[in-house]
Amino acid sequence: MLEDNQPRQTGEDSESRNEQPASSARRSFLRTTGLSTLGAMVGMTIPFEGNMPFGVVPVMAQDSGEDLMSGKSGLTLLGDRPLNAETPAHLLDDDVTPYERMFVRMNGLVPQTALDQDAEGWTLAIDGEVETPLELSIDDLKSQFETVTNRLVIECGGNGRAFFNPGASGNQWTTGAVGCPEWTGVRLADVLNKAGIKDSAVYTAHYGNDPHLSGDPDKNPISRGVPIEKALEEGGMIAWEMNGEPIPAFHGFPLRLIVPGYPGSASQKYLTRIWIRDQVHDGAKMTGYSYRLPEHPVAPGTEVPESDMVIMTVMPVKSLITFPETGTEVATGEPTEVRGHAWAGNGDVQAMDVSIDFGQTWQKAELDPAPNLYSWQRWRADVTLPETGYYEVWARATDKDGVMQPPVVPGWNPRGYGNNMQHRIALVAT
Amino acid sequence: MTYFSTMGGYIAVASMFLAAPAFAQGYDPMAAMRQPPATMQDGDEAVQLDPELGNLPDTEGAEETYYQCTACHSTAIIKQQRLTDARWDYLWTWMVEDQGMYDPEDGTRETVLSYLKRHFSSEPRPAESEGASD
Ligand code: HEC
Repeated sequence: MLEDNQPRQTGEDSESRNEQPASSARRSFLRTTGLSTLGAMVGMTIPFEGNMPFGVVPVMAQDSGEDLMSGKSGLTLLGDRPLNAETPAHLLDDDVTPYERMFVRMNGLVPQTALDQDAEGWTLAIDGEVETPLELSIDDLKSQFETVTNRLVIECGGNGRAFFNPGASGNQWTTGAVGCPEWTGVRLADVLNKAGIKDSAVYTAHYGNDPHLSGDPDKNPISRGVPIEKALEEGGMIAWEMNGEPIPAFHGFPLRLIVPGYPGSASQKYLTRIWIRDQVHDGAKMTGYSYRLPEHPVAPGTEVPESDMVIMTVMPVKSLITFPETGTEVATGEPTEVRGHAWAGNGDVQAMDVSIDFGQTWQKAELDPAPNLYSWQRWRADVTLPETGYYEVWARATDKDGVMQPPVVPGWNPRGYGNNMQHRIALVAT
Repeated sequence: MTYFSTMGGYIAVASMFLAAPAFAQGYDPMAAMRQPPATMQDGDEAVQLDPELGNLPDTEGAEETYYQCTACHSTAIIKQQRLTDARWDYLWTWMVEDQGMYDPEDGTRETVLSYLKRHFSSEPRPAESEGASD
């Protein structure tokens, strides 16, 4: 089940309100002329008919995937249309993130093919700056290339956006737009090399079959890409299974590209085409402020010109405390296990430290090696809270180059990307 | 009533600081570092959410905003924002140029933008800054 945050109203409760707002006459006019006929026009019930504006008729009656959310457990819903939901830290304790705990980031609508789990006739095109353009069925992928299984972190580039001040636009993810499922598929590099990458190749361009939120078939909700060097590097996959099952509807059925270490948006869901380009890709959400950072550091709230925004690539080092749950009571003077995961966009994490005194002193945590490149790594530490009272545990990962997570929100940027501040939980010693 | 609102989450946290003397179980130090809640005041008046308009705060422009802005997505993505005025102006253009939003020429833009800037702003607020408490 999902937890809907209950709104607290200020002033009187709307249900006890008797007066109609002055605008109600116009509102009912809009309703009767514009909205009630919508269902009749497309011959079915419209799930969000009440939300449709005057004069707009949905181009296609597409399921937003809302019913499927019942398969997710304990996630916090940020938006119902499009569906966006994140996972509280204590529910991310598994080494391999199960489906129920995997965050949902939809840029568009869930495609009907994914909702129906129907991969009939699905093909993946590899074209552009290649020697031999390929058109591969899922069976071709399975038979022509070596199948591999890897645990790979998927993290939204905007994870942590909620902590930027002034606010940054987009879904206000706190810490839970991340997960590390196990993916089965083929190596991206194997497929690209089979097509034969020409010297003129600069960037990949990814396409899926998910409809734009407006229903306009000529618009892509998202089409991002990565430098060709990154695409050919170890780690990239074209996957058809997540945790040993066909990839669920929210996560990209039937094929998903995985480009680990980069913002999750580079890992195109519902993958139909990888176009190899001779220039930096300029598809939907590649340009403007989307997944871009200011070229030079800016003061919080600065209006940065578009020309100064550069594409975000490698995700910063990060960690989570997944046990115990924040606010837990623990025994004073006795060791308490705290644990979690650490990961970095540039590969293995080198060290993990925790503090129980607001970052004044740090103790080393045990850090397990990664089961494979770009998986998150388990860490554990015993902390002993010396006297009764309120404590915070702060967690700090260090990447392979010695770069550590900062205690505060790093570089403000207009869209709130790349916040890797240290995660903190409360413990109460009793 | 059950409906989606991330705003509720912020407000619950804010009132915990104001009212609760001790830290409740489940206290989250990360929550204290988030953006403050939407401006639920209109001058001195507390404002209510309108369930018929996707729980937008019921002040002038709520209706125009609702009908202009919910063709593609619900109000949830709007209510999550705390932005500078310049970012709201930019987002209007982005909705029109990149996402295909209908651009009315009748003053709706001004009404909607002033509504958005009133409730979902990160600009320094007038003295009512603690107005979200109950
Ligand atoms: C024609 C379709 C359409 C209309 C109409 C529309 N939007 Fe959007 N809006 C989008 C799309 C598509 C996105 C991207 C959704 C995503 O990334 O999850 C979006 C995202 C947003 C976001 C998040 C911005 C960000 O930086 O990620 C906000 C805020 C928003 N819309 C506000 C509005 C407001 C306010 C209106 C009315 C003035 C409006 N929208 C009308 C299509 C639309």
